[in-house]
Amino acid sequence: MKFKFKTLLVLLVMFCFSVHAQQAKTISGKVISKADGQPVPGVNILIVGTTTGTSTDFDGKYTIEAKAGDVLQFSYVSFKNQVITVGESNTIDVSLEEDTNTLDEIVVIGYGTQKRKNLTGAITKLKNEKLDQIAVARVDDALVGQVAGVQIAATEGEAGSAPTIRIRGTGSITSDAGPLVVIDGIIVDSDFLANLDMNDVESFSVLKDASSGAIYGSRGANGVIIITTKNGKEGKTQFNYNTFTGFKEGIQNDKIYFSVNEWAERERAATGTISDKTAYKQLLGVDQDWQDIIIEGGIIESHSFSARGGSQRTKFSASLNYLHDEGVLLTDDFKRYTMRLKIDSKVGKNFRMGAQVAPSYSRQRLFDGSTHDILRQPSWLPLYHNENTIQFVDRNVYPNVQVGDYAVQRHFDNYDLFNDGGEVDISTTSNTNPGAKVLERDRNDYRFRIQSSIFGEYKIIDGLKLRSQFNADYQHRRQDRWQGTKASRNGVAATQLDISNQTRIYVALDNTLSYNKKIGKHDINAVIGASAESFAWNVESATGIGYTSDFVQTLNAASLISLGFSEKYEERLLSTFVRANYAYDDKYLLSVSARRDGFSAFGPDNKYGVFPSVSVGWLVSNESFLEDNDVINYLKIRGSYGVTGNNAFDIGSGTFRNQINSYPFQTLLGPSSAVFGNSISNGFNPLNIANPDLGWERSVEINPGVDFGLFNDRISGSFDYYTRTSDDLLLDVPIPEASGFSNALQNRGEVQNRGWELELRTQNIKKQNFQWNTTFIASRNENELLDFAESNGQISNVDNKRAAEWINLVGNPISSYYGWVVDQEIDNQYIASPWERVGQTNREVIVKDLNGDGLIDDDDKTILGDPYPDFVWSIGNEIKIGNFDMSILFQGSHGAEIRNIGDQYIFRHFGSSSVADSGALVNDGVIANTTFVKEKIFTNSIIQDASYVALRTVNLGYNFPTEVAETLSLTKLRVYLTGQNLFYWFADDYTGLNPESINNTSPTTYGYQRVGSPINRTITVGINVGF
Amino acid sequence: MKNLKYIKFMVLALVLSSCEDFLEPSPTSVISSEDFYQNEQQLIEGVINMYDGLQGVNDTRNDTNHATQIEFYVTEMRSDNTRTKSGEGEAAQFDDFAIQTTNSFVADYYRSFFNVIFRANTVLANLDVASDANRDNIEAEAKFVRAHAYFNMVRLYGDLPLIDRLVTAADGTDVFYDRRPISEIYGLIESDLMSAVDNLDNSGSRNRASKAAAQALLAKVYLTQNTNYLEAQLLLEDVMSSGYMLEPNFSDVFFNEANSEVIFAIGYTSGIATDSQNFSAEWLNGVGRTVGVNYATQDAVMALTANVDDSRPAVSFRADPLQPSQNQVTKYLPDGADGGDDGKTFAFDARLAGNDWIVLRYADVLLMHVEAIIAGGQDTSAPAAVNSFQLVRDRAGLTDAVTTPITKDDLLAERRVELAFENQRLFDLIRFNKAQEVLSAFASQNGTNFSTTDLLLPIPQREVGLSGGLLQQNPGY
Repeated sequence: MKFKFKTLLVLLVMFCFSVHAQQAKTISGKVISKADGQPVPGVNILIVGTTTGTSTDFDGKYTIEAKAGDVLQFSYVSFKNQVITVGESNTIDVSLEEDTNTLDEIVVIGYGTQKRKNLTGAITKLKNEKLDQIAVARVDDALVGQVAGVQIAATEGEAGSAPTIRIRGTGSITSDAGPLVVIDGIIVDSDFLANLDMNDVESFSVLKDASSGAIYGSRGANGVIIITTKNGKEGKTQFNYNTFTGFKEGIQNDKIYFSVNEWAERERAATGTISDKTAYKQLLGVDQDWQDIIIEGGIIESHSFSARGGSQRTKFSASLNYLHDEGVLLTDDFKRYTMRLKIDSKVGKNFRMGAQVAPSYSRQRLFDGSTHDILRQPSWLPLYHNENTIQFVDRNVYPNVQVGDYAVQRHFDNYDLFNDGGEVDISTTSNTNPGAKVLERDRNDYRFRIQSSIFGEYKIIDGLKLRSQFNADYQHRRQDRWQGTKASRNGVAATQLDISNQTRIYVALDNTLSYNKKIGKHDINAVIGASAESFAWNVESATGIGYTSDFVQTLNAASLISLGFSEKYEERLLSTFVRANYAYDDKYLLSVSARRDGFSAFGPDNKYGVFPSVSVGWLVSNESFLEDNDVINYLKIRGSYGVTGNNAFDIGSGTFRNQINSYPFQTLLGPSSAVFGNSISNGFNPLNIANPDLGWERSVEINPGVDFGLFNDRISGSFDYYTRTSDDLLLDVPIPEASGFSNALQNRGEVQNRGWELELRTQNIKKQNFQWNTTFIASRNENELLDFAESNGQISNVDNKRAAEWINLVGNPISSYYGWVVDQEIDNQYIASPWERVGQTNREVIVKDLNGDGLIDDDDKTILGDPYPDFVWSIGNEIKIGNFDMSILFQGSHGAEIRNIGDQYIFRHFGSSSVADSGALVNDGVIANTTFVKEKIFTNSIIQDASYVALRTVNLGYNFPTEVAETLSLTKLRVYLTGQNLFYWFADDYTGLNPESINNTSPTTYGYQRVGSPINRTITVGINVGF
Repeated sequence: MKNLKYIKFMVLALVLSSCEDFLEPSPTSVISSEDFYQNEQQLIEGVINMYDGLQGVNDTRNDTNHATQIEFYVTEMRSDNTRTKSGEGEAAQFDDFAIQTTNSFVADYYRSFFNVIFRANTVLANLDVASDANRDNIEAEAKFVRAHAYFNMVRLYGDLPLIDRLVTAADGTDVFYDRRPISEIYGLIESDLMSAVDNLDNSGSRNRASKAAAQALLAKVYLTQNTNYLEAQLLLEDVMSSGYMLEPNFSDVFFNEANSEVIFAIGYTSGIATDSQNFSAEWLNGVGRTVGVNYATQDAVMALTANVDDSRPAVSFRADPLQPSQNQVTKYLPDGADGGDDGKTFAFDARLAGNDWIVLRYADVLLMHVEAIIAGGQDTSAPAAVNSFQLVRDRAGLTDAVTTPITKDDLLAERRVELAFENQRLFDLIRFNKAQEVLSAFASQNGTNFSTTDLLLPIPQREVGLSGGLLQQNPGY
């Protein structure tokens, strides 16, 4: 697992020739890494054309005897060679550039490592070069647009909230379709990424195809992200302090705000006059864009301090981080504290051991509400009453309202506009002030976590190592939600406190025996291992109600505990695995692996699953016929086949994971209760239909690919094509209700994802002081449901009240939008009162009679689109001029659609005012009969183009020259400026805040949005200091 | 030495790997069914579970069973008695006789009551663990609950799958899609209720099955089928001599729980999420998430207020304090509290209300008694019938002697006022063969369309879809 570039030092055997040492002098200097400014020990220095050489010491310093005109070559693994001609000076300091394209680069592949050039699967390695300078709260947020085929969408707008990650599309229907995340060999859930500091990350390996993922067997089906954290390096202890601070703002959408006056002008233009209601609204003198209230912006700052170093025997790394992200939404706030300690020591000649412990704590205050609910409020309503608005309050009903109180629509009822005893009502809801809903609630999520591991590694004979690693991960999550006296229209009656605690204790023991040996032309790299894992959950929650004030917001002030609840459950996994990588003559590559997993939640007959894979590669460029080719310097053709599994089903919804998930093969009974007279009696209720045959979801993936380098790597890249067919999907299958149940967990259905990925890297300019590299990444994925058993054609919705439909139909993408097709809008003359509400549009449209039978019914519904993009791309440019550098990343997504139900709220399709008179439409001959008039939400009217192009990241940096840094006793000093989402373009017809912000609904009803959470635009300045 | 230590470590892992039990952790906060229904106590816990099913879950999710708590949507709101306040959303489909096959309340009710039937069948399948002394009683209780569920279902959906036992995987799923004629369903209901009448007594809680409840229900079953009027009359007269009586004060029927008028009610208790109900709050304005449903129609208001001396309208509805032109039902005000001046200010969480839902009460029995004596005819002047009718009227403050003969229309009108907003109206209209006439007129008044096929709900689209053509939709959908 652990590897170190810099301890692979091979010392040159030096022969001492006597040279004509004319004017020989002593040259000395220091070699540092250009990337981080740290000294590089063990660099080989050779006088070209001789065998005279030396190497740098722990501090990167060297001395060598040479004469003017000699050429010194500095070389070191994973750095580009540099040659310098000896001149007048006796001091030659060198800064080595890291060679990112080196094919000898080591890639972590799960229970081992492999040389990049020998990879046969689709694996992308991403090093943390400047990722830690991207000002985001979560590690995964920084990966957007970095890896082909990996889609990361900020589905929730709050700081610290998990994005949705999909590697090569959605392969599961009810199961979790997110990738497996492994940190330093410890399997964690992706939620964990909120508690990791990017400054601690050395690199990511993304295992995309099944042959690569198969070593994780049961859990590899949706891809694997392996994160390696930084280790200490041999040499003087390096201290680093990295910090950034900046400002975030949320991007607003002008299309969803209508000022009172602008609306009045439109009304006057259309009708020649304005209504009493409109006149009254103008009188209030308020023009509140509610976006200004809830999208407030904030600061983001991070402070990260680390010390890394060690001796030849023992290395250590210690780091501390504090991050504060105020988010862009009202009340939204995220604070995180992390610490990580790693130690690694060679105890004996053949024995190495190490340990790490990483406690972390975060507190997230959420925006407890939904943007649509607030943005639907009319612009005439203020947040608080002012001197003007207070005059209009209906004092008969609200005698006590004062300036500064939350304004409520009903306050403005019964206004005598013309002083004639008449009453004008403009309120459309009895709800409380929308701002109060958010401000008077306090909802938090606290996560405490200790991730730890200890390992021992014993070298039995050369190349053969036995390794044992014990992992323990304790995670505690506490959630609370306070709803205060002013938070609801029901006042004190609705005061409520919900508290929950969840702990998860994860322990795992991994043992591996690995063999790495090169014998002649045979390069063998094999591992065999066993692993046992246990997950134990403990959950508790309580609800207190009947608070009479906001003073004490804990359970002890509640007048009644209305709910008390606790559960515990456990799951276990037992695995054995084997993998052999073989390379012959650096040309022919073969990798085979297999894993057998047993999972406690599966039925007795299907507890175990076996997941094999095989992949082959041919390094064509190492063949003699390409050896001296001027164009192609590197070419590898590869192909893989692999079977992976998925056990991450999650049935039910609610605050906690449903415990049926842990024991679905048995019939379970849970407590129930009934009221007889004044007492409550307890019973037991059957909870599920047992499935003793329940077993693994399976994915079979075929992935041919090619890696290439042209013109000495001036152009390099890779292309992959894949088909991933997932069957035996773990599906909560709908069953007839007459059985007493709605669903049963079964292995059913088949879904296919196919597509391609392209990564293209070019070195446009490659000069000593001017480099410009471009990376282009593109991918396409198509999703198709191949089989859905009895559920084929299943139609479902997200919200009863707005029952827009999704269909899961074989031959189409899963979760396709379903409904009628808009034929034409309805003219205002048929609308009850089109100007009644500021910003209102018609509730209905006229739809198309697709089957031409003169009647609109279910048979005229069709598939209206799907939430998956056809094409996703990014272009990154890295430019270095002297000590300045700049990187720019554009990213885009095209072809996805989103069902933005927000339109119904924002454009006020509510109430009678926006309803069309369908009878009049028939009478006027506009439509044949009234069935042609349908609510917009059931049509493609609210299916919008979710395509976007974003300037994701701009980073401008300056590395102070070593001499300058040294005068400050620093080894490194960098300042930079970054921006995220400085530009963000989305489609004209899109009327929400963020086309990526999709509600977290089930995979069969995906793509639902209610306006969404705003896109964050961030500008930060940062400093990296090394000493 | 180190070698040895290391090998020990490895061996430890191998031991773990070979330990088969490792993959079989036992559930700790649920029970595996293999361990359950082993003794009478556990069977009784199954009996209690049936009532838990009838209660329904007090939440706002759309995948949980709300059972009795949403019954008003599929009964009262489909009659001329109630409607939604705003005409918005899925609930308004009931107002307009324009119910979609995907309507989630229709699906919820179907799901909930088949789940109740499953719970009852579970008890019946495990009767062998009961003691001889209690077996018949437990069986009767389960059959009463099953009959209650099927009776509601058959009146709402028509032909239904007949599930009278626990169906195992080996039986296949066809039985769940096989709609048996209503006569077969009524056959099961009647035999279940007869068994309940024979084996229950009236000593227990009014929130549980009793002999009187079974008798009254069976009488209603007979009346609904227009058969066995004499049996119905005798059953009702038996109930009338079982110690039940009208509450002198009409309001106490609803706000003095388990009073002597109540024969069977679904029990709820206040303030506890798992055992309270939400409909009391939903019927008000601005209390909780769902608001303004089951509002009294103008038609109902007029019918109820026809007689100024009648004390019942004042208990039954009121003008919405926030929107005085609208009328809200007040028979089930959350725990009796009226919500203050604005009708929505409570000292406690009104969404966790404890009002029991009355299924059968003595006034209903008295009026059914009149109905049984009319026995399918047009009217009656029989003294027994007049006496029962007079009792109900007297309690309402209408002490004038009942005009004879009592016609079917008189009886229907009386039932409407007495049992307003108690989910009786739609079934009464159908039973009195007045639904077509009354609801057509009501619909045209409101600019909606009523047709006879609207008297049955659709079978939830989900079921029709799942059945692959086996399960036929009701006509008109």
